Amino acid sequence: MLVALWGASLLVFVVLNVLPGSPAQVILGTQATPQSVRQLTIQLGLNKSLVRQYLDWIGGLVHGDLGVSYISHLSIGSQIAQALSVTGPLVLFALVIGLAIGLPLGFAGALRNGRFSGSLIGGLSQIGMAVPSVVAGLILIIVLTVKLHVFPTSGFPGWSDPLQALRALVLPAFSLGLVEGAILSRYVRASILEQLRSDYLRTARSKGLRVGQALRRHGFRNAAIPLVTVLGLELASLVVGAIVVENVFALPGLGLLLLDSVNNRDLITVQDTAMLVAGTVLVLNLLVDLSYRLLDPRLKGSS
Amino acid sequence: MAFTLVVLGSVMGGPQPSGATSSGGSLVIGSAVAPPSLDPTSNASAAIDEVFDYNVYQHLVQLDPKGQVIPVLATSYKVSSDGLTYTFAVRSGVTFSNGDPMTAADVAYSLNRAVNPKSGYPYQSLVADVSSVTAPDASTVVVKLTHPDNQFLYNLAAYSNGMVLDPAAVANIATAPVGTGPYMYQSQISNYDVVLAANPNYWGPKPHLSTVTFRYFSSPSTMDSALQSGQIQVIDNLDNSQNVSQFKNNSSFKVIHGPTEGKIDLTLNNTAGPLKKLKVRQAITYATNKQAILKTVGAGYGTVIGSDQVPGDPWYTPSVNKAYSYNPAKARKLLAEAGYKHGFSITLTLPPYGYATTAGPLIQAELAAVGIKVTIKNIAWALWISKVFTDHNYQLTIIDQVEARDIGEYGDCGYYFNYAGCKQVLAMMNKATAATTTAQEVAYFRAIVRKISADAANNWLYNPDQLTVADKNVVGLPGSGLTESFNLSYVSFGGSLPKQVVSEGFAS
Repeated sequence: MLVALWGASLLVFVVLNVLPGSPAQVILGTQATPQSVRQLTIQLGLNKSLVRQYLDWIGGLVHGDLGVSYISHLSIGSQIAQALSVTGPLVLFALVIGLAIGLPLGFAGALRNGRFSGSLIGGLSQIGMAVPSVVAGLILIIVLTVKLHVFPTSGFPGWSDPLQALRALVLPAFSLGLVEGAILSRYVRASILEQLRSDYLRTARSKGLRVGQALRRHGFRNAAIPLVTVLGLELASLVVGAIVVENVFALPGLGLLLLDSVNNRDLITVQDTAMLVAGTVLVLNLLVDLSYRLLDPRLKGSS
Repeated sequence: MAFTLVVLGSVMGGPQPSGATSSGGSLVIGSAVAPPSLDPTSNASAAIDEVFDYNVYQHLVQLDPKGQVIPVLATSYKVSSDGLTYTFAVRSGVTFSNGDPMTAADVAYSLNRAVNPKSGYPYQSLVADVSSVTAPDASTVVVKLTHPDNQFLYNLAAYSNGMVLDPAAVANIATAPVGTGPYMYQSQISNYDVVLAANPNYWGPKPHLSTVTFRYFSSPSTMDSALQSGQIQVIDNLDNSQNVSQFKNNSSFKVIHGPTEGKIDLTLNNTAGPLKKLKVRQAITYATNKQAILKTVGAGYGTVIGSDQVPGDPWYTPSVNKAYSYNPAKARKLLAEAGYKHGFSITLTLPPYGYATTAGPLIQAELAAVGIKVTIKNIAWALWISKVFTDHNYQLTIIDQVEARDIGEYGDCGYYFNYAGCKQVLAMMNKATAATTTAQEVAYFRAIVRKISADAANNWLYNPDQLTVADKNVVGLPGSGLTESFNLSYVSFGGSLPKQVVSEGFAS
């Protein structure tokens, strides 16, 4: 995992540093003289060799120092912490909504496979998957805030009043979660269907168990393995989806930080944020791997 | 909303304004671009000046919303007859928002900080002709120039070079700005909002609001929804002028519009292929229907222009605006004369701004009608700065040149237009800025306005209005976009404005 993180850091650094657009020129704008741009480049340390810049950055990271943004002059660590206090809860909230929609729908779809209601669920989830969360968000804004004033359209009041904070997250979480629910329901349905058709379940039913009983005793654990993998991947894609949804709802999260930093060529902030996302994805994958061992006892012996 | 602001204040530990200094109320203003930093003296972003200039930081002289230079931290000023010495009487009894008294020495310190060739101020080049700034006594500041510059006062008023800083607070300028203005910095969440609070130590008429929050929206439709649902009370400048229709016919809102200093140009790289030829550049200008573009892109809010000028400039020459009235037949004829009977292909590079991406396809169609095949390329802002502006690697682009009185750019041979007449314009500029009578100054500048128009150095399209939309109860917003500052000195909920304030150009 450390090797993967190191690889990611190298990739992020190289990609960002070949990106055209000198930070000094962006900072100074269209009235700057070439001398002042050169001088600012030196002041920002951007005239040092790339190897040197990379080592400075990675050295800071290893010591837990994320550095200071050379655009805003603010500590990047505190900016990221602030952004995470929005994006973290948003992603979890969206995942809960996704599961609350996806699990029951998936089960129902599998158990009613071949019947009209089963096809209806399949159709609805197909539509849900096709709707980008941005569109879902805009529709929710227009109906629930401008017309009905149920929720705030956008913005985030901070966590000092958790109720207001959650209220501000409801719409963004729903626009992410609805789509997520549709995706999950299809995986759940497929996974359960596969178990229903398997030999061991037929054996269990021939012993006299009903479908529900057989699934509960034998099927769930087997169905869970592919689902956990999907969940890990989907959590990562939720983080990416959050970036877009934060934009629509003007939430001060990781997405807004990342977008504005790219636009301002605030390279160190982009590097740090990208590393954080990469690290999160790696940790999620590790957790997924570990969970296999819990779900499938056979894997314990093999290592 | 009041709730939100109180919470932010307590989280950040910022000072709470006392009720005594203001009639109260909290205003939230929606805006498109968040300030990338809080320090206007090290970053050119207009988003910083919009919040901090005139509201937090003040100058000896400032611009009112009509674009006139008025004394603010100076009570009066004198210019010597040779135009080389400016003597300012500095206002007494002024304190910074942190309680430090402001003295003539602080003013001299601030101006010297800008003048220093290594200052890093984004507009340092505009004060490069200052030879000394001194404070001979506690209420006088004397500025000496190396040569006469009739734009000196205007530049001091319009750009961050003129901001008066507290030397004791300057070390933290990027995180805790301190100025003498009616509002003071309270808190921010980067890329999300900036909160200002009434300055209890303000020397002038007390600000009416207890807090003003600028909140940033990267999605214009979200911002429009926020205004309609009452989450914000003002949109400083509609990104997409066409969206004004949803507010114009609604009695809950008011639409305030007034000129900006911007010139939306179809910028021509004067050394790129066919554009080297005068007749080709003129043909492109004749082929462009500026009125139609203003009507579609700017919803009709603005003025068609024919040179680097806006109606507020002292040397404004309206006749130039009609020099190339829409005439596709003439454009085709000029192209044929230039040897491009069958037209040519060219690339139009667009920055990510609404006016550019809307005007792009219109221009594409208009040029296609005379045989010029335009390929549109959309790029990010940082790329625009690097490829178009720095490397001059482009043929056509569309950009709003927002800086006030920037006609001097045509005298800069390194500027990205690659204009061949730059040396002549530079000589004309030196004569124009050194003129010591207004009549001479105007005459010299008019000559430049005409010359660059005759050379078709660029295809100037229109001077856009600032389109502010507000809740109908908000009074005292600036009536134009002639200053980068969104001047909040007189903003309140309800009430009426003094006559003097209305005459300076604030909207009742």
